[in-house]
Amino acid sequence: MRVMLFGVVAEIVGDSALVIDSASTFALRGALNERFPDLQELTWSIAVDRRIEHGDRVLTGSEEIAVLPPFAGG
Amino acid sequence: MSTAKVHRKREIFAEGAITPEFIASSIAGHATRTDIGAHAIFLGQVRADTIGGRTVRALEYTAYREMAEEAMVAIREEAFTRWPQLTCLHVHHSLGRVNAGAICFFVFASAAHRQQAREAVAFVTDEVKARLPIFGKEVLSDATHAWKKNT
Repeated sequence: MRVMLFGVVAEIVGDSALVIDSASTFALRGALNERFPDLQELTWSIAVDRRIEHGDRVLTGSEEIAVLPPFAGG
Repeated sequence: MSTAKVHRKREIFAEGAITPEFIASSIAGHATRTDIGAHAIFLGQVRADTIGGRTVRALEYTAYREMAEEAMVAIREEAFTRWPQLTCLHVHHSLGRVNAGAICFFVFASAAHRQQAREAVAFVTDEVKARLPIFGKEVLSDATHAWKKNT
């Protein structure tokens, strides 16, 4: 599945999106932390279909997924 | 009438700083709405913070636009529900580079009376900062950068 990346997360990964398959949001978090250890030092959340997902949600691959660092609007 | 207004999606992002001329013309644009008795405005300006001896020269904003626009629709609906006498609500936020000292955020609420306009502008300002996925890269005086985080 395609995962959109923003801000400092995109900087660490070196791209604005990446393709990674995960069965759930917690699995995605683990996979990203393993592949990009610098992410472990940061606070970031996962948005599924444009809403922050706090729990462990099953992903089918059809969702719109984004990894979001802390917001800085204003 | 107000329902259609509440649900309409509006463009909130524009490239670069928000100019004083744009703000002035926004105010002037309400002259025909003679049911309005009060405008309340919040303006966010890029602050030249000092980070480890380096000064913030500019902010470079990016956003997850689709999610930001949906969150803005929800905030707008909440505001019109809480303050039903709100006549107008406009929100503008910069994308891209905005130098220190320039305006990057403009919230403009209008109502028949001052209390609703004031309360709505404070609410919307806080909610936008908390709920819109906007990211800010702080460009520092030594050409390095940091990442802004709302508190």
